[in-house]
Amino acid sequence: MACHFCDTLHEASAVPEGSAARCRRCGVLLYQNRSASLVRVTAFSLASLILMGIVNMFPFLTMEANGIKTELSLLRAASELIREGSAAIGWCVAVFTLVAPLAMAGGMLYVCGPLLHGRAAPGARHVARWLSRTEPWNMIEVFLLGVLVSLMKLGKMADLCFGVGFWAFAVLMVCMAAAVAGIDRNELWDRLEVAAE
Amino acid sequence: MSQPSPQLPRAIDQGLANCESCGKITPVVACRCPRCGSTLHLRKPASLQRTVALLVAACALYLPANLLPIMTISELGNVMASTILEGMVEFWHRQAYPIAIVIFVASILIPIVKIVALVWLCAAAAGKVHPSPRILGRIYWFTELLGRWSMVDIFVVSILVALVQFGAYMTITPGPGALAFAGVVVLTMFAAMSFDPRLLWDRLEIMNATETPSPTTDHE
Repeated sequence: MACHFCDTLHEASAVPEGSAARCRRCGVLLYQNRSASLVRVTAFSLASLILMGIVNMFPFLTMEANGIKTELSLLRAASELIREGSAAIGWCVAVFTLVAPLAMAGGMLYVCGPLLHGRAAPGARHVARWLSRTEPWNMIEVFLLGVLVSLMKLGKMADLCFGVGFWAFAVLMVCMAAAVAGIDRNELWDRLEVAAE
Repeated sequence: MSQPSPQLPRAIDQGLANCESCGKITPVVACRCPRCGSTLHLRKPASLQRTVALLVAACALYLPANLLPIMTISELGNVMASTILEGMVEFWHRQAYPIAIVIFVASILIPIVKIVALVWLCAAAAGKVHPSPRILGRIYWFTELLGRWSMVDIFVVSILVALVQFGAYMTITPGPGALAFAGVVVLTMFAAMSFDPRLLWDRLEIMNATETPSPTTDHE
């Protein structure tokens, strides 16, 4: 295999579970052997999908001022922007907080679930290819920071109340991170290659 | 860490392409990766040109992003526009220092550092400056990691717009600066993706080849 950072060729050899191989020239991480990788990815991506359902079903934050109550949900955060005439930003927010995480979790489940039984799902190759392209656009952790900053901004202006959606979102962030970090890219492709044969 | 030695074989020297999406090594004449079906390249195509073009676009948007209001707050008839910098200063005056610092780092520091870092990386890959590729590699890794956090201000706007809708009492609407700022973040992310860090090491290889025509063979 070759280092994606400096193009140095290496002889790929198996590394013990839990450790990683680094490039001889630039020191970048080449591949790692994660323990129970497939089971973990499948479990965490399934949990992420369920949590996404909860996040979108229950309110995120509710705010009350002067007897008027407003609710925040992921869908509303994006749709209000589109309604207010900032369609481009609205779609950006929708992609970064709804579409990309959903595609990531769904895609990982679709690829890794069947692999658990040694089978490759139809079209798994295309899905896996798109997974790595979607990854940088999944910004749920950044959105959570945005929620915290907004809370400070609103301060004592109104009564704020955390909904079930908020807590589900915080857990979702952890599950997504665990699912993404659960499997090494090379290991995933090696397994896919073996299963497809 | 030892100095990078020129003896280590590179994939490009043997006509092997490292697949960008699955990491399989295949002779580049195959055109398509046999494992995942992606198009094979020895290096990302037109990497420097694309990166520089995206950076120029990001720079052009950087000024409106910081000068135009990212949101307007209308409170009991008073309309107040707020730019990114004003939002940060307001937190600072209210003694909310950690939040002011978070906004400063995410919205002002990261975009500018990222643009400067990528320009520097492009200059190094083009052979204009000659710092160590190891340090440059670390800078590249950092720019890729940090870029997304700049999006936080856009999310704050979207949250406030959705939440603060109290009719005449108080309403927040997005401003034109938000679109420009989102543009800066997305463009710099694309710029970081289109940059190929292997070009930095190629440059080192070229320099080594020209500086030491006959490598010493004192030790293996």
